[in-house]
Amino acid sequence: MAQTETLEGISLTVSDVSGQKVFRVPKAPAEATVGELVQSLLSQMHLPANDPNGQPLAYQARLEREGRHLNAAERVGDALETGDKLMLQPNIDAG
Amino acid sequence: MLVNEFRYGLLLFREDGSALGSASVTVDWEPAAEWTRFHHARRGAVPLCGEGTASIEPLWDTTEGEPYVSGFRVAYESGGQNVTADFPSSYFREQAAQTSAEFVKRGKLAAGDTYLFQAVAFAQNGNGHAKPAGGLALEVVEEKPDLEYVESSLDDFRRRSSPAGLVDADDMPVFIPQRVLDETAALTRGAEGRETGGILIGRLHHDAALPEVFAEVSAQIPAEHTQGTVARLTFTPETWSAASAAIRLRSQGEVYLGYWHSHPVREWCRAKECTPEKQKTCQLARDFFSEDDRAVMRAAFPRAHSLGLVVNDTAFLDLSFSLFGWREGKIHPRGFHLLEESHA
Repeated sequence: MAQTETLEGISLTVSDVSGQKVFRVPKAPAEATVGELVQSLLSQMHLPANDPNGQPLAYQARLEREGRHLNAAERVGDALETGDKLMLQPNIDAG
Repeated sequence: MLVNEFRYGLLLFREDGSALGSASVTVDWEPAAEWTRFHHARRGAVPLCGEGTASIEPLWDTTEGEPYVSGFRVAYESGGQNVTADFPSSYFREQAAQTSAEFVKRGKLAAGDTYLFQAVAFAQNGNGHAKPAGGLALEVVEEKPDLEYVESSLDDFRRRSSPAGLVDADDMPVFIPQRVLDETAALTRGAEGRETGGILIGRLHHDAALPEVFAEVSAQIPAEHTQGTVARLTFTPETWSAASAAIRLRSQGEVYLGYWHSHPVREWCRAKECTPEKQKTCQLARDFFSEDDRAVMRAAFPRAHSLGLVVNDTAFLDLSFSLFGWREGKIHPRGFHLLEESHA
């Protein structure tokens, strides 16, 4: 997707599971991995990064355009296009 | 946006007042900020869907003064309107429990011992939520969510409903039809001692005449791609994708309102060989929402209107229901209104 990648980064919209917390990322760095992007987004979106035992919560980013979960190792500039919408979805236990 | 220019710590004391020690703490301010926004939006003091800025400020202890705090204030600004809400230091109770557990590990406190805590705050340079160590330097801008409010009369809904549980007048009114509860009960029985669950969907209503916001649960979507055991239900990324697809397919303007899951208490009691008498007074039998249950709410349903429903499956009673919701930044048991549905 090199045609959509710019030096300024890629513009994205990211939401939580409910779609009720929505954030715009004007310049997601193309060289970052999806995993790095997700970890930074959790902090910025005030979503919990850990479970009650302090263990990291696993989130996957779902790319709406392709209807698939992105692999954490994928490069942002390869997987995403400007205007893409991501949903951060946790793998989480109710007790 | 959340702005906090202070770092917080806790001083812990034994019951006799002698000092145990101190620790800096990381506080989750988001539920307090969100509750402040929603509390005032319900009353029309700030826009319903506006994105704003919440600032966290310590409330200095009136006797001891700075750096001792008696709580904190959330100042929220949106659309040129400013509101505030004050929170007591009991908001730090979870951090105090975590800190006390460290002192137990170090042998300075015995497990189960009573302790007291005092919160303190110190000014820090720069905003506390800046770039995390090792993270990307990422700029994000909060956007207005696609959340519609249906203009409705709260009185009309109240006329068609009856209260279930203890309804607190300060809580956002919630209406749930018996049909939805019946579906969760049937799924709970069908799970045969394993936890099961689903997503609660419906509509948010606004009564401009009051003003007030209320929620109508219109359906539950059985959670797919979950992994259920006797004591755990795992919601996977595929669960959320399937639920979002179901909402789109229904195409009825519904939104996520929360989640439900079952507690197969009868199996928990069987495993622990609890006597029938003990089961009847067990704290897990009703209105129990575990740390993990709260974590699901925080991660997936952080908006202050969100709900968590538990179906209690005990050996001594028919299935019962416990509803939980956000109040003052924490999750509490709450009542609701059982909605009669017309079958015309």
